[in-house]
Amino acid sequence: MIDELIGILERENVEWELYWERGRSGSFRIERETLERSQRKFYSGIGLRVGYLGKLGFSYVTGLNHEREALEEFVKRTIKLARVSEVPFPGFPTPSKVPHVKGLYDRRIESIPFEEAHAMARDFSLRMRELKDDSLTLSGSITLAVDHYGVVNSNGVRLEGKGTWMSLGAYAVKKGDGTGSGSYYQGYRSLQPFEEFENAIQRAISEAELSYRAGRLEPHSGEILLEPEAFRAVLGVFLENLSGESVYHRRSRFSEPGEEVAPGELVILDDATLPEGTGSFSFDGEGNPGERTVLVENGMVSSFLLDETYARLLGMESTGNAARDFRTVPHIGTSNVVVEPGKDDLEGFEGIIIKKVFGEHTANPVSGDFSLTVGLGYAVRNGEVVPFRDNMLAGNVFDFLRSIAAIGNRLERRGSFYSPRVLGVARLV
Amino acid sequence: MEGLVRLVDRLAERYGVSYYEVRLIRVTSSHVSMQNGRPEELGTNTETGIGVRAFNGAWGFSSANDMGRAEKAVETAMKIAKLSEGNSRIHLGDPVVEEVEIRPKKSFLDVNIGDKLALVKEVDSLLRGGGISSRSVGYGDGLEEVLYFNSLGSEIRTVVPRVRLGFSVTAGKNGVMQSYWKSFGGTAGWELVERIDLNHWTALVREKAISLLHARAPPSGEFDVIMDPELTGVFIHEALGHAAEADSVKNGESILAGRVGERIASEELTVVDDPTLPGGFGSYIYDDEGIRGKRVEIIRDGVLVGYLNDRETSALLDLEPNGHGRAQSYAHQPLVRMSNTYVEPRDWNFEEMVEEVKNGLYMIGDKGGEVDTASGTFTFGAREGYIIEKGEIRDHVRDVALSGKILDVLRNVRAVGNDLRIEFPGYCGKGQWVPVDDGGPHVLTRALVGGLR
Repeated sequence: MIDELIGILERENVEWELYWERGRSGSFRIERETLERSQRKFYSGIGLRVGYLGKLGFSYVTGLNHEREALEEFVKRTIKLARVSEVPFPGFPTPSKVPHVKGLYDRRIESIPFEEAHAMARDFSLRMRELKDDSLTLSGSITLAVDHYGVVNSNGVRLEGKGTWMSLGAYAVKKGDGTGSGSYYQGYRSLQPFEEFENAIQRAISEAELSYRAGRLEPHSGEILLEPEAFRAVLGVFLENLSGESVYHRRSRFSEPGEEVAPGELVILDDATLPEGTGSFSFDGEGNPGERTVLVENGMVSSFLLDETYARLLGMESTGNAARDFRTVPHIGTSNVVVEPGKDDLEGFEGIIIKKVFGEHTANPVSGDFSLTVGLGYAVRNGEVVPFRDNMLAGNVFDFLRSIAAIGNRLERRGSFYSPRVLGVARLV
Repeated sequence: MEGLVRLVDRLAERYGVSYYEVRLIRVTSSHVSMQNGRPEELGTNTETGIGVRAFNGAWGFSSANDMGRAEKAVETAMKIAKLSEGNSRIHLGDPVVEEVEIRPKKSFLDVNIGDKLALVKEVDSLLRGGGISSRSVGYGDGLEEVLYFNSLGSEIRTVVPRVRLGFSVTAGKNGVMQSYWKSFGGTAGWELVERIDLNHWTALVREKAISLLHARAPPSGEFDVIMDPELTGVFIHEALGHAAEADSVKNGESILAGRVGERIASEELTVVDDPTLPGGFGSYIYDDEGIRGKRVEIIRDGVLVGYLNDRETSALLDLEPNGHGRAQSYAHQPLVRMSNTYVEPRDWNFEEMVEEVKNGLYMIGDKGGEVDTASGTFTFGAREGYIIEKGEIRDHVRDVALSGKILDVLRNVRAVGNDLRIEFPGYCGKGQWVPVDDGGPHVLTRALVGGLR
């Protein structure tokens, strides 16, 4: 059907781009250690962008099985939109060599019978029952998904890809005199052994135990060590400033690369080529190659995140960061964000450590100010661990990055974010 | 349609499914956006899909957006339910056969896409001005037509229109930048957009962003806080609403579990969730489980009196169903969700409230929030604020987030104003996004302020 659509489009005097997808997912939700909700979803569709006399039109259809007449109508409607839209058409990418990224597809995920996946989820729930005690309530989720996708355009781009994903989550609530909660989430490209399920439950329980003992800590201003999950929240406020869209529309702190933002040791990458990365891809939503882009190096901003449109508007090259599905036009997104490990051994660090925060969407990316609620932290003094929560972590992301005093040498991954522990200056309210 | 019902019945029998429900949904939508005078998106689309749930003591669900796969989706949901064999119960009740519609005064389907673009352009041009470095405008509408049927014999057709207009600016000077924004929305038609005083609101948004460039960082610590109606909305949504969703009660994840009948808040406080509010962005007639949405009092005079529930939680907790099972789309299973949540007004006027505060803050505007319902801690952001000293409003402050323990903050409510407003549309995320509205009058309480001073 895609070929038929291409045939129709080639008759028209327009530039065009098709992004198509077909996929399915199976997911399972465990509540109170019982498998309560299981689902299997099927989806497919095509997004069509048309460039006509310098203007852009976009529309989509769901499904990949349409009569000729429906396809003709789809093309006609999109061209009509291009005529009236007044949206400037910047042009589509031209073909270029895309990297082969290893480990994005695991046949076992695509071919696993639903019954087997269901049994796996049931085993997950049974293990929760074995590991719980009267004070604990456990819940969790598993998702398995496969996606086939492709980009074709009138400049000769012809690309197809497929990927598999698995995600695993566990959540624990401990009740007694008070309440504590803990959670763990991880994403993968391949089917995981049962040890990962066990690990998820254990980590959620141990966090709930810590949280249960946690109270508020005295206010503090000075060095605070952020574990990867907490650093992700703070860094997210900074990364919004590196989007080419924010730069072009003057909502970013930066107008061009080169500005000093951190000590030389801090290196931040956006890397679509990481083997097995949950955010990895060979080509982006417009058919540009997935790349390893250095965002911060030698203390300076070295690149922005760009799709084809904003690269052209800024007179730069695309970094292959067009994210989309068939329902949407491309927009700028990250692939895998990697904070490179430093040389410091922060594993035995004594002081204030923050593990989790929440509320990062309330931060202000243009000023960089943030005040986030601490979901879980702990103070280590003379080897003694005192957990805390409910304080607020307040600071300014630009000041925090400049204040970085040490970067841990051990990298941790959570989904598509890779980071060591990072020590900087902030305030605990 | 009749063929589909017969097919579903046959498959339900074959797989021994005790209850099923099917949602066939068509959404016709349009979207127009512009940044700094540059049109970014303009599109109209129609999407159709099917979502099928089957119950056999646990839920099986399947969905498809290619109607050629509709039969496969039905059979898959049945198979999963058969495989599941859980022990849960659900509310069944009597069948409902009804066709209902929220009728706009002027359907946005009758408005040319060019007119929608003209509106966006007009807003963009009104936002232009000295000191403004960036402007963004977005308009969206969607007409959702749902055919719901279930194994009880219910057959419900609903049509709900929803429209939204939002705009924002960023002001910049000497390396300092601040943003401000405003959104309008409701279950309504084009008339909602026509009623907006665009000159007033665009001027206000510009002035606020510029004024915030000179605002100070807020102080930090625990303070008396007066929330404006918009912030009261996000506060009550986060601090109470999520914990009153009965699925979190059922799953042992709510601090409000087992507390119905207990005084959990100040006597000043009465909180309502009402999907029947005319025109509310979170309004609907039937929920996604075929149960009519009902107004629910969550707190009356400080006492917890109700939870929001769905078919499953109402059966488990022995509650009257109140129609709060909502799904983002045909491809999502219903979850217990809020609709339009608000604090009912009392008799305080704003000036009296300010006089009450010796050392505190007046906080304005919603920047979103988040809650851990199990631990009972929530956070919410305000767009701007003012210091209050000895009953007088003083310095302007910016970038403020507040936090608190749910029960402490509810008990600390000292005054509830007489100036109710419920007109702050947004989307609430809980694994799925659904449109909601919230609000209230001005409210005085005490919270932790995470400022930089």
